[in-house]
Amino acid sequence: MRLDGSSDHPLTVEDERTPKLLLIDDSMDIHRLLKVRLKDERLELISCDNGAEGLEHARRHAPDLILLDLNMPGMDGFEVLQRLKSADDTVGIPVIVLSGSDEVNDKVRGLELGAVDYICKPFDVAELRARVRSAMRISHLMDLLARRAQIDGLTGLWNRQFFDERLAGELAASSRDGSSLSLVLCDLDHFKSLNDQFGHAAGDDVLQAFAKILQRNLRRSDFACRYGGEEFALILPGTDSRQAMGLLERIRDEINRHAWPRHPKRGITVSFGVCDRARDGGFDPVQWIETADSALYAAKHNGRDQIQLAGGAPRSASLPQAG
Amino acid sequence: MAQEPNADPVRSEFSDDPDMRELVEVFVDEMPDRIEAIQNTWSEQDLEGLRQIAHQLKGASGGYGFSPLGDVAMELEYSIRETAEIDEIRQHVDELVDMCNRVSL
Ligand SMILES: [Mg+2]
Repeated sequence: MRLDGSSDHPLTVEDERTPKLLLIDDSMDIHRLLKVRLKDERLELISCDNGAEGLEHARRHAPDLILLDLNMPGMDGFEVLQRLKSADDTVGIPVIVLSGSDEVNDKVRGLELGAVDYICKPFDVAELRARVRSAMRISHLMDLLARRAQIDGLTGLWNRQFFDERLAGELAASSRDGSSLSLVLCDLDHFKSLNDQFGHAAGDDVLQAFAKILQRNLRRSDFACRYGGEEFALILPGTDSRQAMGLLERIRDEINRHAWPRHPKRGITVSFGVCDRARDGGFDPVQWIETADSALYAAKHNGRDQIQLAGGAPRSASLPQAG
Repeated sequence: MAQEPNADPVRSEFSDDPDMRELVEVFVDEMPDRIEAIQNTWSEQDLEGLRQIAHQLKGASGGYGFSPLGDVAMELEYSIRETAEIDEIRQHVDELVDMCNRVSL
């Protein structure tokens, strides 16, 4: 498994930034006290004094943790909690209730609505800090776990399950805002014979090297996925087919020039099939994959080591190879 | 208010904490405003407003190092919430105002 947190790994993308803590409490005293008491924690503190604003901040800042008062004028903490937990973009944010009520009923209700912890005011500072740290630690591990379930162990790229969800999401976004979108299917040429001739370790090396080349060339907003054995899929939001072709030329060039210590005389080539909004009028993921797959098939059929645009002429066809 | 003020100051347990000193000062400086708010809600018989003030003092006083003040505020909050006799509430209001008058660094 390459889940070791190396710098080019999707798992590390968000690990460097300072975690954000959102405080929602109508008492200015609590704002002042927490600002001083949490100043040595590695935290960015965002504060607001009412529930409506709190929901807005939660959506906009996507904080790593929310400290939520219950007794507030207007929208109370229970309602804020309920709304946080019923919206897709805030449901995953851990919430600690910070309340002046020590009633068992309030504690139970808060926890059952989805809070991870409950701290009574007045609070002990050391305990508050420890509970905040504990909640952040658990939430970090949950994130890691959720992301690991979406990552391919061999290559460190996103896995097939992630790809399916993401493609549907990006197609929906593209149909909503009219932004461009490209889908690429890539397949390593003659991969089976490479495995047969040089062994599976050599095959794994090639898959990992190709994954690295993809990660080096893609933007933060792109998604490189391992689609199957030696098949990869790229989701390129905001990218039309012309831009995608430029990117794929660079990738094709890099893999062609790559040195292979295990088989110095056997180079590796890749075939690509590209589909974009202009090629496929609809927004059905299955249809898009079929369209890209047809283009990939055409690239293979035309001699491999080339990029084929759905419905277009082949690009970069090199000398046809046997096989 | 009704009671003869007790002169003994109530001091913050964080008086010597350099991180907290400034905050405690602000809390003490703002105390006359809180006392006025307590007295106003009480004289208008705005019990819900009074309960809110007591509730906030209960939650915050300990944070400034004035735990006894938080305890007195809690007594007042509970007496209002449990609809105690007006005389009992008055007694807690007097105790709270008295202690508010005595907080100092
Ligand atoms: Mg409150």
